[in-house]
Amino acid sequence: MLNLPHNLKHAIKTLRLGDWLIVAGSIIVIIYLFQTLWSSEHATKVQIRLGDKIYATYTLNQQRDVHVHGPIGTAVINIAQGRARFSKSPCHNQYCVHQGWLTRAGQAAICLPNQISLELIGENKPYDSLNY
Amino acid sequence: MIYPRFHYIPSRLRSRLRLLTTLLLLALLGLAIFGLNAYNKEPLYHSQSYVFGTLVDISIYGEPDERARLLSNQILQDFQSLHHQLHAWKPISENQPSELGALNHAFSQGKTPVSISPQLAEMLTDATNFSVKSHGLFNPAIGHLISTWGFQRDEFSVVNIDDDKIKALVKNKPSMTDIVIKNNKAYSNNVSVKLDLGGYAKGYALDMAADYLRKQQVKNALINIGGNIIALGQHGKKPWRVGIQHPRQPSAIATLDLPDGWAIGTSGDYQRYFTQNGKRYCHIIDPRTGYPVEHTQAVTVLISPQTHTGVLSDVASKPIFIETAENKAQAAATFGVKNWMVIDQKSNILVSKAMAQKLHWLDTNVKFATQP
Repeated sequence: MLNLPHNLKHAIKTLRLGDWLIVAGSIIVIIYLFQTLWSSEHATKVQIRLGDKIYATYTLNQQRDVHVHGPIGTAVINIAQGRARFSKSPCHNQYCVHQGWLTRAGQAAICLPNQISLELIGENKPYDSLNY
Repeated sequence: MIYPRFHYIPSRLRSRLRLLTTLLLLALLGLAIFGLNAYNKEPLYHSQSYVFGTLVDISIYGEPDERARLLSNQILQDFQSLHHQLHAWKPISENQPSELGALNHAFSQGKTPVSISPQLAEMLTDATNFSVKSHGLFNPAIGHLISTWGFQRDEFSVVNIDDDKIKALVKNKPSMTDIVIKNNKAYSNNVSVKLDLGGYAKGYALDMAADYLRKQQVKNALINIGGNIIALGQHGKKPWRVGIQHPRQPSAIATLDLPDGWAIGTSGDYQRYFTQNGKRYCHIIDPRTGYPVEHTQAVTVLISPQTHTGVLSDVASKPIFIETAENKAQAAATFGVKNWMVIDQKSNILVSKAMAQKLHWLDTNVKFATQP
């Protein structure tokens, strides 16, 4: 019967430089294809901005309350089940809280008075900028 | 081809050489992946800031990061000084009103001409032309009405709606044509004129930023001031792509490609508004009645390259928003706008024929009508 480990050992031993080049080349091609083709519009992370700085980026794959201290007070950002939202904000209009849950990559909620924004990030951004 | 088989080397060394060759190949592989990643990283600079009382979002493609950062900071500084100059209700400091504030004060006092900067003179002349063209529907002279409705504040809350006061303010007929500008001096024939350039300044700033970047030989950039966007060049091999906000959902309703030199603007009832007794009062006021427009949720206009592309993206959506459904297409035609989309209060979507060909709906089940 075939003794696989032995055959494998033997095969590897007899590989020549050219074979190795082919193996290496194939691995490079596979990695390249994986990087270019494996993408989806699924949101995987939420990026929180405070003023003109990126405050933090969190994976959506967790349950978490993030407290962010903005110019007019502390906002609470909820992350749960692949979604994110403003759950509390000190701003007057509460537009940001009313936006509700963000679920898809590219979705964003902005709190202008408190200068905090959330944006869901996926592998692929559906657009470069939002017109509103 | 002859591969090295090391048969001339003692076997003791042979295995070491093989190990070395393998390691070398692995190192090469690592280098290749590293190189690919570096190649995949786009030369895209992106910044977001709160200036101009809103969110400013600048993307620059194909410039070294450091240069892009300096350029974008310069733009933000220019926006900030324009903001101080044109602010309709905030003085620069306690004793120093904004240039616009000082002018408004002079207007309210009578017909004594006051000096204004050549830049402001040019803006007011330009805004007057647009106002006349729109038959007064675009009217930056109704600052008193806007302030009565509580929209000249950083945050909007319920106001006491004073019907008599609104009636009186409309009756005064403040108009851009009341303003007389000569040799960089201005006065108003009507004391009820109070300028609020809220529907003009963002567009002006877009043109200013685009001109600046072109002068600096920047080929590719996307500038977004509070939702109004202008494009320069493109995003690498693809055009810049923008999303259009859904007026009632926290997501985009559609996307479209913004070619070199084009601009897009939206007027909506969902950014500045307050609700009272379940009724929504938005910041877009019909100068003919003095009351907020109720029949429309959003109007988007796409502007082809011309002298004032940015300004037009800001100005042209207002008359279309204010006009009733049957007159909206005519209002668009007045400004030569071929690409527009209207979403009315029942969320019915009407799209011009030219625009329909450019939109990519994100919700594939969306229902919309096309205006020939």
